[in-house]
Amino acid sequence: MNIQLKRDQEFIDELNTKLENDGPFTNWNLFKMSYDSSLATMTKEFKGLTAPNHLPHMTFLEHQLECAQQIVEEMNGRGILADEVGLGKTIEAGLILKEYMIRGLVKKALILVPASLVNQWVNELNQKFYIPALSQRKRPVWDQENIVVTSIDTAKRQQHKDIILEQDYDFVLIDEAHKLKNHKTKNYEFVRSLKKKYCLLLTATPVQNKLSDIFNLVSILKPGYLGNYEDFTNQFGKDRKNLFNDAHLKQLIQKVMVRNRRQDTGIDWTKRKVETVWIDFTKEEQEAYDELTRISKDSASFSSITYTRELCSSREACYMSLKKMLNQDKEIVNRTDYESFLGRIEQLPHHAKADKVVELIKDTDEKFIIFTEYRASQLYLQWYLQQHGISSVPFRGGFKRGKKDWMRQLFQNHAQVLIATEAGGEGINLQFCNNMINYDLPWNPMRLEQRIGRIHRFGQESDVNIYNFAIRNTMEEHVLNLLYEKIQLFERVVGNLDSILADLNIGNMEEEIQTIFKESATDGEARIKLENLSSVISFAQQNNSEEDWNGTRESS
Amino acid sequence: MALENLHDFMTDYFIANQCEILENENGKLHVQLTDKMDEILMNRPFYWQYVKKLGYPGEPMTVSFITNPERREEEGEWVHFGSPRIHQIFRTLTNQGKYTRLFEENNTSQRTALVPWLVINMKISYTGKHKRDEIISIGLQLINGAMKIDMMDELNKISLQSSIADFSYTMTPIIRLKSGYQRIIQYLERYLQQQNHEWAQESWNHLQEEKQLLSHFYQNSGDDEEYENRFDQEMNDIENRFQPFIELSVINGGLFYLSQLTSNKLFI
Repeated sequence: MNIQLKRDQEFIDELNTKLENDGPFTNWNLFKMSYDSSLATMTKEFKGLTAPNHLPHMTFLEHQLECAQQIVEEMNGRGILADEVGLGKTIEAGLILKEYMIRGLVKKALILVPASLVNQWVNELNQKFYIPALSQRKRPVWDQENIVVTSIDTAKRQQHKDIILEQDYDFVLIDEAHKLKNHKTKNYEFVRSLKKKYCLLLTATPVQNKLSDIFNLVSILKPGYLGNYEDFTNQFGKDRKNLFNDAHLKQLIQKVMVRNRRQDTGIDWTKRKVETVWIDFTKEEQEAYDELTRISKDSASFSSITYTRELCSSREACYMSLKKMLNQDKEIVNRTDYESFLGRIEQLPHHAKADKVVELIKDTDEKFIIFTEYRASQLYLQWYLQQHGISSVPFRGGFKRGKKDWMRQLFQNHAQVLIATEAGGEGINLQFCNNMINYDLPWNPMRLEQRIGRIHRFGQESDVNIYNFAIRNTMEEHVLNLLYEKIQLFERVVGNLDSILADLNIGNMEEEIQTIFKESATDGEARIKLENLSSVISFAQQNNSEEDWNGTRESS
Repeated sequence: MALENLHDFMTDYFIANQCEILENENGKLHVQLTDKMDEILMNRPFYWQYVKKLGYPGEPMTVSFITNPERREEEGEWVHFGSPRIHQIFRTLTNQGKYTRLFEENNTSQRTALVPWLVINMKISYTGKHKRDEIISIGLQLINGAMKIDMMDELNKISLQSSIADFSYTMTPIIRLKSGYQRIIQYLERYLQQQNHEWAQESWNHLQEEKQLLSHFYQNSGDDEEYENRFDQEMNDIENRFQPFIELSVINGGLFYLSQLTSNKLFI
């Protein structure tokens, strides 16, 4: 063994010079204070976390402290943080980074997160951890000693990439790391090439599709730890379930990955109260809906399903799409039918759902988030609420970062309602609000889970109320009854639905449902097909017995 | 922890930097900064640049600090052991308080000879898989080469001042400053050799294991240059992470002239 010794030569030379020049020298008080502050900031022990003492304004949860300690002490600063959504992976990562900074082991760090989260990360690191993180804007700061937060897309642009790859990073963090599961992508290549000492990968879904996902993630942290690719597949196969079923593999992975699940944390999570709100169309609306269904049946176009779906949301949404279609200069089989239907829409009263929203909200001061699938419905709702003296702000995934933050603030401080067209996916945290109206349901259950995750997360102090709107005697009734109720999506706290859908090779749920509606000759046929789809899913759910992650940890 | 009382530490700091204390009670400290301290602490370089350019007198700020957690909701900046302000002050101190030359006070009218001492406060950092620091304060008498450990504790017991007292005179060192420093380093090297370095052995073993894993991972990749580069880089990453090393860095130090009496007491 060989231990290097680095000596300090600079000091004595400088002191000598100062003596020759007769100063300047410090006085005794400052000399002593300087010594005392070094005593106070030194790291006395190899082990243990010192960061929490530096952060008295924060209350950390037991599993977060344990996770940070495990990563630092047992995994030597390279690991996968794979807690379920909402357990505070950001907090754990901040704690680890802070610990290394206090110990003087990290000075230069690169934090790669989705573009929409850059600001949030910068704020949290600064406010919660006093870590002076910067976001990479126009002025490149790559070559300085600092903590930079940026998106992987920005970082790998040609003008940045070369200089970033030259840097020696003490610490690299990648959020939403499951996006790196494919080792043939540019992103994967890029992250592999970074020069890095410590490295954290954050993901709630360490294996999404194939068992090799985990092999690829681990190979970023510890190349060779799971052997090479051939060894790995020979030994463990390709089935993603083996991660939890194969005791040997699980034991190996537990040395590079921390995964907490809600039930392991011993925290009382607030409840989800889910209520289906059934709405009847008015007579005029129902007649119009039936008429549109009839017209669409004759149309060969795939999107004709969309028009009826839109009519369940608002007259405006349907009108806009029809108008757009008719304005196209091409042959449309039942153009005249559609044209006369436009006139009919104009005669319709206010939408039954919009009335229901007003009814639900008007007598309370509580804040609500309303999600709709359509931009036109969003505008309409905003106008309609205003007519009833209810203040609201809009929110769209396409908003720039600053505007998102601003809208969130307006909602928190001034408006009663936020009307969103998209979960903004990984966009914003709205846990100060605990009521959500799903004005119309997405046909992709994962998007619903993301919507709910905006408010039902750690930090939510009240029970969460979710109102799902559905109109009787329409396609919405089918989707809600046959799909959502059956797979019990609303009751599940965190779905592992994405992996189940991947197992079943259902890539796009939305298309699946669209096809069912489109290709069914009758209502009854559509119903049967939907029922089959949900049976398959709920069967897979039962089969995919809950992963038993921590089970063997105690015994191993 | 050396800073048991953060409030007193802050107070001393501002006094030592010639700032006027406007209010000081029950965990609240209200300070009138000087121009210099405003520039150092308040992070408004453009203001000072502007003021200086126009030749106006600057208006340094007054600041309130709250050290009592029960009053943290009140107006003022809550400072605690982890707050950025404290660490900013620590950083200013590492620069401000680094080099010194001090003389022991002498209130008599007797002519007193002062003996030269080189004082070095050294931080030793042990870095392997994990990291730990140790601080050693050493004094070396520059006439006879005697060495004293825990020197700061001794210096705390006497009064020191920046200029020499009227009736005192200094003795010329026999040991040159640099060779004095060498003796201190040699002492520390012996000290390190006598220790048990289990931490380093552990880290070293880990380093070898990780290197083997990496070689296995790349064994079938042939002579592809790209793989070769990546292999080298990852090998490098592993070494940076686990190669054990010890670093000596001087926190601060200087030349201290102490009375014969004090010097002799240090060895009883």
